[in-house]
Amino acid sequence: MEGQGNSGGSMLSLRGVCKRFGELEVLRGVDLEVKKGEVVCVLGPSGSGKSTLLRCLNLLEPPEEGDIHLEERSICKGPGSGTGEQSWELDFVRQRVGIVFQQFNLFPHRTALQNVTMAQEKVLGRSSVEARKKGTELLERVGLADKLGEYPERLSGGQQQRVAIARALAMDPHVMLFDEVTSALDPELVKEVLDVMRELAEEGMTMIVVTHEIGFAKEVADRVIFMDDGLIVEEGPPSQLLDDPREERTKQFLGLVLGH
Amino acid sequence: MEEFLKQFFDVGFMVDHFDEVLDGFWVTIQLSVISGILSLVWGLVLATLRQLPGKGFLPVRFVTITYIDVFRGVPLLLLILLIYGGIPSLDFLPESLRHPEFFGKKDNFWFGVLAITITYGAYMAEVYRAGIESVPGGQMEAARSLGMNHGQAMRNVILPQAVRKVIAPLLNDFIALTKDTTLVSVIALNEVVLVGNDIQSETFNSSALTLGALMFLALTLPLARLVDKLIAREQGRFTRGAPRVEAL
Repeated sequence: MEGQGNSGGSMLSLRGVCKRFGELEVLRGVDLEVKKGEVVCVLGPSGSGKSTLLRCLNLLEPPEEGDIHLEERSICKGPGSGTGEQSWELDFVRQRVGIVFQQFNLFPHRTALQNVTMAQEKVLGRSSVEARKKGTELLERVGLADKLGEYPERLSGGQQQRVAIARALAMDPHVMLFDEVTSALDPELVKEVLDVMRELAEEGMTMIVVTHEIGFAKEVADRVIFMDDGLIVEEGPPSQLLDDPREERTKQFLGLVLGH
Repeated sequence: MEEFLKQFFDVGFMVDHFDEVLDGFWVTIQLSVISGILSLVWGLVLATLRQLPGKGFLPVRFVTITYIDVFRGVPLLLLILLIYGGIPSLDFLPESLRHPEFFGKKDNFWFGVLAITITYGAYMAEVYRAGIESVPGGQMEAARSLGMNHGQAMRNVILPQAVRKVIAPLLNDFIALTKDTTLVSVIALNEVVLVGNDIQSETFNSSALTLGALMFLALTLPLARLVDKLIAREQGRFTRGAPRVEAL
């Protein structure tokens, strides 16, 4: 594990995080440190627990064991705490952690702008003028200034995903989680989404990115993590992990991904 | 043939009794609209209670599901008789509930409203539930991940989509409700069937009842066509390959 240092203190700290779905152990004791401003890409075969790890981090799937600290505050009630429902940690986490999903999950009955303003008004209590101003700014920033009034159905996948990113950013998160956000996109639409993410990284956002885009990881990540079978197999700077992996399983995986 | 027409479709007879039958049908419409609106609201309340998450709400879910099961299984006619015969005898209730009279309507009207709402609330709760369950799970996750609590997510994200999907089946239930209001005739409410039947008993001519049937058709046929249109529109979304709710 690397020492604390460069741009800031600890954003996230995981100790022995475990998650089970019935008999299936999806996470089997994950330790991870993420510093403020760091961009961490998570690679791994499907079923390795990458997505579950992200969903644990914002308590969509609260972990059964282990401890997670967000900004040096524990967000779990300790071993066996089970559900994060109705605990103060839930609000604390959701106010600081934004997530973007593979399937966009935009609200289909609301326009692009309304998707971005709804939670600002309902959760943060911003006035509708304030929320619209912020929403408009963010949608301009992701290149959708001309789509404010469009319903998701009329947007391409790439546009929908950029609205989803703007929607998460509107809540002023301290960390952004990206769960295979380009996997459901047509190839020609991947770049516009990655470009937005790259800009976000350059602005210093702390990001955890589950992805199959090796090129993006190589270029943008401060650190790359390889997961398999519910464990972190290997981690390191992209140049080392991607070009010169130590572990056999990492080599196999990269061989398969880069092979064709 | 002439005898048949005279028995059931005596136009002169219909004209003579038109005002009486129409008065009865007006009661039917009032009963339908009031019970219909209350059932829509009550059904939504039940469906929402049924979806409350977590262990803490287990008793609420249990009671709600039991209610829905029981009142979908009990005949409306039986419930009408039970309420009409039972509630006035409950001495612990205030007089205004034992013999409710509001807006110029007597107790049999309001007991009818109560019985229909209890029964159709249960039916409509199931329709709402189907709508709620048809909204993809990612919608709730997205809402929760943005910091909304369960109630906010239901109100702002899930229910608006769910209700739009079930407008047609709800309207179907409303048509059935309209016809079932005739059961309230059993507790002497002068709605269209009781009026028509009284005329039939006095005159041995059935045309007043037939006229009532025609009035029903004038109401239910356009509603049925509307249901068809709504269903076709809903299916159109899927055939275009976009299984999402279109902006209205």
